[in-house]
Amino acid sequence: MLEVLQGVVEVLTKYAPLLAEGLKNTLLVTVASFVIGFALGLPLSVVRMYGLPPLKALVTVYVELIRGTPLMLQLFLVYYALPTLGIALSPLQAAILALGLNSAAYQAEYFRTAMGSIPRGQWGAALGIGLSMSAAVRHVVIPQVLRIAVPMLTNEAIYLLKYSSIASLITVPELLYMSRIITSRTFMYVQVYAFLGLTYVMIGSVIAKLMRRVETIIAVPGLTVSHSRSLM
Amino acid sequence: MAKEVLKVVDLRKKLGGREVLKGVTLTVREGETKVIIGPSGAGKSTLLRCINLLLRPDSGKVFLDGKEVTAPGVDPVKVRQRIGFVFQSFNLFLHMTALENVLIVLTKVKKLPMCEALRIAKEALQSVGIGEEHWGKYPAQLSGGQQQRVAIARALAMEPRIILLDEPTSALDPELIVEVMQVLENLSKKGVTMLVVTHELGFAAKAADSVVFMDDGQIIEEGPPEEILLSPRNPRVASFITRLWELYDIKDTLTSRER
Repeated sequence: MLEVLQGVVEVLTKYAPLLAEGLKNTLLVTVASFVIGFALGLPLSVVRMYGLPPLKALVTVYVELIRGTPLMLQLFLVYYALPTLGIALSPLQAAILALGLNSAAYQAEYFRTAMGSIPRGQWGAALGIGLSMSAAVRHVVIPQVLRIAVPMLTNEAIYLLKYSSIASLITVPELLYMSRIITSRTFMYVQVYAFLGLTYVMIGSVIAKLMRRVETIIAVPGLTVSHSRSLM
Repeated sequence: MAKEVLKVVDLRKKLGGREVLKGVTLTVREGETKVIIGPSGAGKSTLLRCINLLLRPDSGKVFLDGKEVTAPGVDPVKVRQRIGFVFQSFNLFLHMTALENVLIVLTKVKKLPMCEALRIAKEALQSVGIGEEHWGKYPAQLSGGQQQRVAIARALAMEPRIILLDEPTSALDPELIVEVMQVLENLSKKGVTMLVVTHELGFAAKAADSVVFMDDGQIIEEGPPEEILLSPRNPRVASFITRLWELYDIKDTLTSRER
């Protein structure tokens, strides 16, 4: 038992630079695609909720297309098909874009759900005091939506962390890709992949902790849906 | 006679296939407190919502300071900035403190600089009896009466031409009704122009300059409070008022029990 452990430690130390590089790329893909998903998802949800009918329909089609096709297919389309249109991306760029566009659809849905849970009276009051539609969305709807959506965004961030592993299929040197290199040289499949699994769990729990911090910081009495679900 | 601030002419509105307003005409003059009473479903709330264009009337006209606001091309946002609205369920912005709820009107609607906005907001809150210790509290941390008084301060901060109040005390516990009603009585005395939908006959008796009785989408009777509340001519109004008075006349009830 001790020997096995020693063997693992030895291998991991030997390949530490590879793993560090992999970790860096995994985090980069996760964070960047989350940010893209957020930056696109929020406006998409506003359009889907309050936009003109043709724009609404467009967003709905986008969301359904993304939800209805495998993420891996989306990745391949971005990486292999875009170059034929003259847009060639590096593997890392392609992975970030594909995951970001995918996340945008999901985040748009989370925000839309959150918008639906805002009491109708908030709208009436916002318009009633003389705010325009867009000012009401900016000053009343979005600040409340963000607070309601944090738990769902936490899930999304952890999903992205795990799905970033498929970037290895287009040769992005992230954690899974590096692990495959290591196992092909050492044949220590069980040990290396078990370590990899643990690594994902640990990063995931760090993300969850960070998001809970965010949640506490922006929390407002009477507006937290997650931990203190009231009995109404 | 004071000048007309609000004039509603033959307002009609259908909601869900039912005719909720069947041609309502009324006038509110500068400094006047007009109270609308009537059974639920009479169209009182719909009338208020049509006046500030939260609902679009099907036909009829609304004039504010002599200018038609229901005319095509009039920006409803601009109209609402001149009409205060107080809701039955307060509708304070949940993510803002009491102070911020008033501030948003001044900074985002009236676009005042922050220091001036702060001064006015604090004054407005003081004037409805919300002291400094409550300014940093969120709606969930305030009582219903306090929330409604903040909502009144929010409406006042706009310096609107008229304030519409939609059953402002219906969602309140009895002991909280008093504090809100007192604020409204003060406003009425100060000459703030108000159109109030309420079941509080006590408020109508004390503060109203005129009382309107609405039923089934129409104005049935209108007149000074002593006339409508004590000797209405219309039998429907009479029976409604009698029933409401019975609710309040505890003394009579008690004395009749003794017998």
